[in-house]
Amino acid sequence: MAISEKEIKTLARLARLEFSEEETKKFVPEFEEIINFADSINQQVEGDTASIREVTTRIATWDELREDEVKPSLPSEKITSNVHSDNGYFAVRRVVK
Amino acid sequence: MKSVIKTLSEKLRSGQITSVELTEKYIEAIKRVNPVINAYVHETFEEARRDAEYADRLIKEGKGTPLTGIPFTLKDNIATDGELTTCCSKILEGFRPYYDATVWKKLKEQGAVLLGKTNMDEFAMGSTSETSVYGAPLNPRNTARVTGGSSGGVAAAVCADIAAYGLGSDTGGSIRQPASFCGIVGFKPTYGAVSRYGLIAYGSSLDQIGPMTHSVTDAALVYDAIKGEDCADQTSAPVHMGPTALNGDVRGIKIGVAKEFFDGINPQIKGAIDAAIEQYKNAGAEVVEVSIPALKLALPVYYIIACAEASSNLGRYDGIRYGYRAANYSSVDDMITKTRTEGFGREVKKRIMLGTYVLSSGYFDAYYKKACLIRKRVESQLAECFEKCDVLFAPTAPVTAFPLGYSGGNALETYLSDVCTVPVNIAGLPAIALPCGKDKDGLPIGMQIIGKKFDDERVLDIAYFAEKSKLCELEDVEGGVRL
Repeated sequence: MAISEKEIKTLARLARLEFSEEETKKFVPEFEEIINFADSINQQVEGDTASIREVTTRIATWDELREDEVKPSLPSEKITSNVHSDNGYFAVRRVVK
Repeated sequence: MKSVIKTLSEKLRSGQITSVELTEKYIEAIKRVNPVINAYVHETFEEARRDAEYADRLIKEGKGTPLTGIPFTLKDNIATDGELTTCCSKILEGFRPYYDATVWKKLKEQGAVLLGKTNMDEFAMGSTSETSVYGAPLNPRNTARVTGGSSGGVAAAVCADIAAYGLGSDTGGSIRQPASFCGIVGFKPTYGAVSRYGLIAYGSSLDQIGPMTHSVTDAALVYDAIKGEDCADQTSAPVHMGPTALNGDVRGIKIGVAKEFFDGINPQIKGAIDAAIEQYKNAGAEVVEVSIPALKLALPVYYIIACAEASSNLGRYDGIRYGYRAANYSSVDDMITKTRTEGFGREVKKRIMLGTYVLSSGYFDAYYKKACLIRKRVESQLAECFEKCDVLFAPTAPVTAFPLGYSGGNALETYLSDVCTVPVNIAGLPAIALPCGKDKDGLPIGMQIIGKKFDDERVLDIAYFAEKSKLCELEDVEGGVRL
């Protein structure tokens, strides 16, 4: 399957990543190689996947609920110790003018 | 194979050495050996000294367990309160978690001594540990070779005995393959048997924490210490909480051999595993031929599912909630894009892109949905096998340790080297990797013993036969503590 540079750019935008022109050119054949490899499953399984509704991959089958109790939470100053923060809040540049 | 934990534990309990003294020996060995093999990326020596003092008190009070006072290491993707946890990625540069992973909490309570965090492929994405932002760790048995990955730093540290044991994580073979490349033991428990709380997520339906050790006995001791249900991990499950009994009696057990596991593997590896099976047979085990036709599909299925989950899991690295943030940007959206572009390495970007592709509209049905369908098929074929046998024997990898730099030019071939390990994650099974010989270059060969879900203790016991009968004794690498 061929992947165009345009498709790579669209995907990159969705994934919030940027590739320079040069990187994109290099990336296309590498990406094609891995997509073609992933595509090998399509040669093995006959077409109809429309009937599959359940696509979760959850392996756990035990479903016991715990009591809903109030417990201490993580202190906000600890959580924000790693990040750009202001008074215990996450800080970003002004969004609303 | 010999039990380093038992040896050290006896010395500690009999008073021949204190944990503080033992810890200093390990710290000194790390200072000597680590500059060569690059196993540790963050040292936690102050934490270790505190842990050791606590351990000595526990031992004095007679409250010690087999792991009390013994220095170990954690892979750099397991959260440690206040200590660097960076997934060997620039995007988590300087990140200090604000809580402990459940496995570390459990070990800490028993007086385990944390020496530091070890090297890995960035976000555990790779089979050689070369995608680490800190540079690759080197295989202590041959420093021109890779350690394997992604838990390569743990494997190197244990192999060189600059840690008595370690905890790694295994999404598609990341405990077992480096264990085999370095000639140690690596155990991936059943999905759910050990809490994943505090393990930085890669592929959440596949990820599992497990021990990497010098011996099967050690793997069982560490597994016993970390296993069990945890209310902080919804996928964790109740398991037998007593100690794992190791007898190594294999009379009457049925070993399944599936030819699909042996397709295209190096003949020297096949030879070593055949020889090991022969020894099990001589001790009374029975060999059954089984077939898993869907096995080959497990690999593309794995890459689709793991990358899909990764693209979603790694969405959280936005420059807002974690350490690294790009310096120059025009808007919040631009900040997120620039932070991710600068913060993630090449392999991680590639997998995020692949995951985004298979989840995007128009391709979701053809890839992700189909992969989930085939995943179920692989699972049920493996379950059918276990109606005919107790365990499956297989190679850990179709090759021995790659030369350094090899995977850079051979990306797909490196992906293909996960062929024997990923089916286990796809189906959530327990599997242990242990050394069973050497190739003509003297590099360790690993074999896998795979069990049915929650048959972890049986897998360990069957592997213990190899230890008890000295099926494969690799020489110790010099330079480490070796008490």
